[in-house]
Amino acid sequence: MRAMVIKEFRQLLRDKRTLGLLVGLPVILLVVFGYAANFNVSKIPTVVVGPEAAESAAQLHAPFDVTEVDPVGNRATVESRLQDGKAAVGIVTGQNPVTALMDGTQLFAVQAAKGAFARMAQADVATGGKIPVIAPEVLYNPDLKTSWIMIPGLTGLILLFIGTLITSLGIVRERQAGTIEQLAVMPFRPWDVIFGKILPYLLLASLDLIAIVLLGMGLFGVPFVGSVVTFGIGALLFLLVTLGMGVLISTVSQNQGQAIQLAIMFVVPQILLSGLIFPVGAMAAGVRWIAYVLPLTYFVDISRGVMLKAEPIAGLWVPLVVLLGMAGAVLGLAVLRFRRDLAPSARHRGEDDFEPVAAAA
Amino acid sequence: MQYLVGARSATIRFGDFTAVDRVDLEVGSGEVVGLLGANGAGKTTLIRMLLGLLIPTRGSVSLFGGRPSRATRRRLGYVPQSLGLYDDLTVGENWAFTTAAFGIAESTLPESVAGYRHELVGDLSLGLKRRLAFAVAFSHDPGLLVLDEPTSGVGPLSSSHLWEDIRASAERGTGVLVTTHNMEEAEQCDRLVVMAEGRVVAAGTLGQVIGDRHVVQVDCADWRGVFAALDGDGLIVQVHGSRLRVPGTPEHVAGLLHRHDLGGDVSAVPANLEEAFVDIVTKASPR
Repeated sequence: MRAMVIKEFRQLLRDKRTLGLLVGLPVILLVVFGYAANFNVSKIPTVVVGPEAAESAAQLHAPFDVTEVDPVGNRATVESRLQDGKAAVGIVTGQNPVTALMDGTQLFAVQAAKGAFARMAQADVATGGKIPVIAPEVLYNPDLKTSWIMIPGLTGLILLFIGTLITSLGIVRERQAGTIEQLAVMPFRPWDVIFGKILPYLLLASLDLIAIVLLGMGLFGVPFVGSVVTFGIGALLFLLVTLGMGVLISTVSQNQGQAIQLAIMFVVPQILLSGLIFPVGAMAAGVRWIAYVLPLTYFVDISRGVMLKAEPIAGLWVPLVVLLGMAGAVLGLAVLRFRRDLAPSARHRGEDDFEPVAAAA
Repeated sequence: MQYLVGARSATIRFGDFTAVDRVDLEVGSGEVVGLLGANGAGKTTLIRMLLGLLIPTRGSVSLFGGRPSRATRRRLGYVPQSLGLYDDLTVGENWAFTTAAFGIAESTLPESVAGYRHELVGDLSLGLKRRLAFAVAFSHDPGLLVLDEPTSGVGPLSSSHLWEDIRASAERGTGVLVTTHNMEEAEQCDRLVVMAEGRVVAAGTLGQVIGDRHVVQVDCADWRGVFAALDGDGLIVQVHGSRLRVPGTPEHVAGLLHRHDLGGDVSAVPANLEEAFVDIVTKASPR
């Protein structure tokens, strides 16, 4: 048995990726659950409008973080800020009762705000009732249904799964079987092989996306109030990032096991840190930046924004541009690396080095 | 004239390791050229260079008179060691994929594999898989066939069928470059190029490669005793029935037998390809 144990350790020490997974994953989970796994929102971006905006804003304390005070603004101003995600709560003054509009897609922020309003009212009663009555009104997800905010995000997770894991496995399988070498000597252009390989997954992921959205609408009553085109553009850009990652993973993996390991390392942090489960705003600042380099974070913004809030394309330009940049960088790098596998002659040297071999006359 | 495929002083290095070292090689129309060498001699690396899958560090290669490219590969049939077939597709689907890739509008599955049209390739025997790989490589009537260890792991009957196909193809004018370490197969080639440690150590027809090499044949009653003695003296001994064949001179072998108090008729006979190959490779690789 001693020989077996020594052999196993020797193999394990040579397998850097498994070693990385053994050491890296517990560290990631510790960081995530220690700093990021937090449902308590401590800062709620809040906008206050109307003739008594300044006075009302002065009465708001943590967790409310007043980002804008607009004495000439009205309900429409608040709705606009909530729709494009600049605020989670908006207080409309100058009417009785004062209305607190809340973004129902930010489930935990709304729950924290409701709690804070209740505490304020309780404290006000104790001190003689100086603060006007606040009537909360939740927009976009009035019943605060978890399924309404989860399903738009889950569409992203499905695209991530197909784009990254299934694509990388599909390409690595060709390498393992030796058929990629056969493809390289067939009269295909490298682009034929690359896009011929990617397009089926793009189509499959698109069909899956449509199915999950329809199922979400049918089974859970999730609304789709925004533009299908905007949603489609966001989904396509996100899918291009994930497909690029899939191809990139395949170019550095010798077998399907390695591809699965790398895909897990790419997918798991996105599930935990993209805002799909834990709100990005509630994460410690030290780990929040990780959320901003993960593509799923931006797709979750887009899918929730379009499906639940009818956010227009102009309001989503930041996540769309970030995904476009990521897609260009990742897919470009992936295609270059894959192309090098298929056609090394693309890196040909100077023409002077080439000399056709001919028989003596 | 230009050769179908050729290498001129082709060299490839991976770090400090020279896998192929200044190799010259040509294959013309209708000829079968055997690339002979032990495992690790550099045969597959050379083939990958000729196909454009690896770039020579020095020297040059040409395919149909030009750089390996999409246009030149259209005239190429290639069977890699791994066969390049999709195990999870049927015979018919593999055939359809390849013929479509080569732009063949209408094609009929060859008779040799037609009966297995609906079978998954992964379920076929290795012999059948090789037959299909050959059929696929022949599908577009290529000008050049490159076959890497084409009969590795198949029985003598399948091997014989595959060689019939190779010869028939060459008779139609196709050039064939075939790697092997099987001497019987190598003897069926028109020309041989012997590689050892990345270099060409012999080239020419079968007769030219063997040259005037001779080995010593020992006819004896106690062949087991003689085998043990000569093997113990470090000679490479081949057994043919009750006859033994060893490299060296009759005088030297007779002296060894005498030292061991063993008898036998000792004579010099022309070497066969295997004996010549061992001699060539041993001299080229003193380690």
